[in-house]
Amino acid sequence: MSAEAAVPGIRERSTIRRNARLRHSTVAVAWLGLPVAWVLVFILAPYLVNIYFSLGSSEDYAFNPGFSLANYQRIVTVQPYASVLINSTRIGALTALIACLIGYPVALTTAFGLESSRSRFVVQLLIMLPWWASYLVKAYAWRTILGSKGLINSSLIHLGIITKPLGFLLYNEFSVVLTLTYIFTPLATLSILNQLERIPVSLIEAASNFGATRLEVFTRIVLPISLPGVLTGAIITFALSFGDFIAPALLGGSHSLMISSVILAQLGVANDRAMAAAIAMLIVAVAFLLIILMKRLERSSAIQV
Amino acid sequence: MAETTAHRNPAIRTVNLRRTFATPAGQIAAVDGVDITVDDGEFVCLLGPSGCGKTTVLRMLAGLEEPSDGQIFVHGENVTFRSTADRSVRMMFQDFALFPHMTVAQNVLFGLSIRRMREKVSKTDAVKRAANYLAMVGLSDYHDRRPHQLSGGQRQRVALARALATDPPIVLFDESLSALDAGLRRQMQSELRRLQRDLGKTFVFVTHDQNEAMTMSDRIAIMHKGKIAQYGTPSEIYDHPNSVYVANFMGTTNLLRGRVERVERGDLAIRTSTGEIFVSPGDGAVGDEVTVMFRADGARLRLTAERSANNSVDTVVTNIAFLGPRIEYELTANDGTQIQVHTPATEGRRFLPGSPVSVAVPSEALRVLHH
Amino acid sequence: MASSKQKFRPVSLHIPWTATVLIFAFLYAPIFVMVSMSFNTNHSVGLPYTGVTLHWYAELFGRTDMLTAMANSVIVGVGAVLLAVPLGLLAAIGLDRYEFVGKEIFRSLVMMPLVLPGVVTGVALLNLMVMTHVPLSLATVIVGQGTSLTCITIGEVFGRLQQVGRSQTEAAFNLGASEGEVFWHVTLPNIRSALLASALMTFSLAADDLAITFFLTGRDNTLSMVLWSMLRSQGSPIVNAAGTVMIILTLGLFSTALTLSFSRRARP
Repeated sequence: MSAEAAVPGIRERSTIRRNARLRHSTVAVAWLGLPVAWVLVFILAPYLVNIYFSLGSSEDYAFNPGFSLANYQRIVTVQPYASVLINSTRIGALTALIACLIGYPVALTTAFGLESSRSRFVVQLLIMLPWWASYLVKAYAWRTILGSKGLINSSLIHLGIITKPLGFLLYNEFSVVLTLTYIFTPLATLSILNQLERIPVSLIEAASNFGATRLEVFTRIVLPISLPGVLTGAIITFALSFGDFIAPALLGGSHSLMISSVILAQLGVANDRAMAAAIAMLIVAVAFLLIILMKRLERSSAIQV
Repeated sequence: MAETTAHRNPAIRTVNLRRTFATPAGQIAAVDGVDITVDDGEFVCLLGPSGCGKTTVLRMLAGLEEPSDGQIFVHGENVTFRSTADRSVRMMFQDFALFPHMTVAQNVLFGLSIRRMREKVSKTDAVKRAANYLAMVGLSDYHDRRPHQLSGGQRQRVALARALATDPPIVLFDESLSALDAGLRRQMQSELRRLQRDLGKTFVFVTHDQNEAMTMSDRIAIMHKGKIAQYGTPSEIYDHPNSVYVANFMGTTNLLRGRVERVERGDLAIRTSTGEIFVSPGDGAVGDEVTVMFRADGARLRLTAERSANNSVDTVVTNIAFLGPRIEYELTANDGTQIQVHTPATEGRRFLPGSPVSVAVPSEALRVLHH
Repeated sequence: MASSKQKFRPVSLHIPWTATVLIFAFLYAPIFVMVSMSFNTNHSVGLPYTGVTLHWYAELFGRTDMLTAMANSVIVGVGAVLLAVPLGLLAAIGLDRYEFVGKEIFRSLVMMPLVLPGVVTGVALLNLMVMTHVPLSLATVIVGQGTSLTCITIGEVFGRLQQVGRSQTEAAFNLGASEGEVFWHVTLPNIRSALLASALMTFSLAADDLAITFFLTGRDNTLSMVLWSMLRSQGSPIVNAAGTVMIILTLGLFSTALTLSFSRRARP
């Protein structure tokens, strides 16, 4: 090392800085290059292709590219698309509502009723396990219970309460909502639980110290602060159950067709690629709107715990 | 300043308050037999390092935790097992515990808007009262803000207004000022003191900062491992600490262990490793093992040539620190004992590291603790 | 919460506790019913319970089409893991360390498959394949599954990286280590269990998935697809056996994964 390791001049300094930045960027690209490229190709591009398809039309089982919103119009105005859309919305909304109603007490007892963090972890695991079990199997499992030879009917016949199996348990909107609620309750519960756990204990202690009864503590403190969690759970449940096709296919019967089943039909029998794409984009649009709505609500309710 | 006269119904009185819990290592007592009395209109601080049990005592007073043993009396009533809602004791939490989904005004109104208060106070009166207390802490203009829009000091004041709005005779503070920066803290300390006096309330304040305790309290209870080490006025504790622990806690103290050699007409001559120390007047018998204490600011530094006849220790300066209004010296005596001396910056003479210096301790500055 | 502080109960929890027990019964009953049915000797799907047998499992593992389907499910699962986990790992580290234009957009894009119904993701990818004239096969299925499940690994690893913090990495760089050395000696040990957890979850979700697989497969069937067609028709009790196998697989994988994921998180 020469004693003249001189202080770099201005020119040299900017070169050194530029090289450092280049090196920094190169490293960043090394980490992010592949994932970003992949995401652009396999997540963004498919949707762009989808939009392209949705703007075209299908005639005689062949795809004609075009640029019209005719498909979208048809979905909203023409039967059976319009009524299927309404069906799906109704089923999604009911599922979200019931899943949150059911999930709330479970979240409540998990957040406030358990002493050690270990038991809380175990209970959380137990809540989430059904969520991670096979989707298809869960949908199917209800057929075993609701069917004419299923658990409920067989037990009731065996006990002599009825003589013929009850037909209204299966293949209608009731069974679809029931199954979807069953599938999504863990998700809603977790969302509510996460929010409940963020409530500092001191808030509850303070409210009690002021003389509030336990019911008042719940209705005036716990419940209002938990609402964003309920909303988030409801919105995600809606978005996912709105677009489900497995439950209606297995348990829905002919009257409760849902929008994703229509996509399947379009791509299969009708070979109407354009229509299928349009419906898919519609679902994406609905999901986006919901997420934006959710973020808006979060910000305006300004419950920052 | 409240005197420790025997009131028949003091604001707070605890008898043998204990709180134990089980760990894998056996039973541990967070609070190990605390007897304390707080008079009406007093400002008392519970002072101690973390883990000494002061917060647990406070929470038991508030009713947020149940004592394992002992009793708590508030104005003569046994409230030991009463829920926190049924005591006329308000708690101020360290994180302020403001309700994030309510405005400042709604927060302050909360204590008056619960069901049991609705029969006692009409809505208009409640709103008026809340507004009054909000004005008292100077935050009227912020009535429709949300807590997250406020600074730490403002949140503190809202929490205070909220607690006071229900007009409780006793308010407990759980290290409420720890989250504030130094300047704001000092300001809040005097505000709290002023409010307490003006409103005539009883405040019990938990802190680990002895300056804070000295500034605000009528009496201080120093806690150590679940027990009260000493309970008295700030000057009592500072000037007459009853143990090494208390002495160490309340300011920089020098400790010298020794044995009483002679007793002459009420004076003690104590032999320590640094020499002989005279304590006048002093209590003790020959042969007693004692610890001699003196404050860092109670000693003087002299040139070795000018050392005084009695109670001088020859030392060498090892470190000097300039702390604005005072200078802190670290000195090492001939036998290796470390001594700390603080002198006012106005004193003039400075002694640099390495210089030989004599530490002179006037007899009045000495305290003797028997073992 | 320190263990010496009592947990404060805000609400009388009797009603919620009763509801919780009932809801847990609700959540687990169908699974138990189906599992128990899989041992039923009855030839039609349903009650009554005529006897205990392992016949359906024998049939399940005896039929070639079933075995092929199961093998295909495993192939899809493994393929998805080999694709999604490395991609997710790279992305998570990149997201943790760097700020860049479009970071939020990238994040939203990656998370999209999580919040959208599988049908939509499947259709979109299918259209891409159609457009580029790529023939459908298990490979396209793996591409589809791997892509949509990358967010799982990103979530796990990113969360772990945030929890562990930057100081170890910064210290290593400061001591002169290279990128590769830092990754191997500092980053990897800290995220090991998160990576494993992601792998298990990704495998489980990919092997079990129906929607994306349905759209992107060529001639090959996975177990889910076979089940699906059997269920559309009346199906024999073999579906119960297959279903039980799927449940055990997915539950087993996920409990292991979650325990791994949380075992580190519990420690501060």
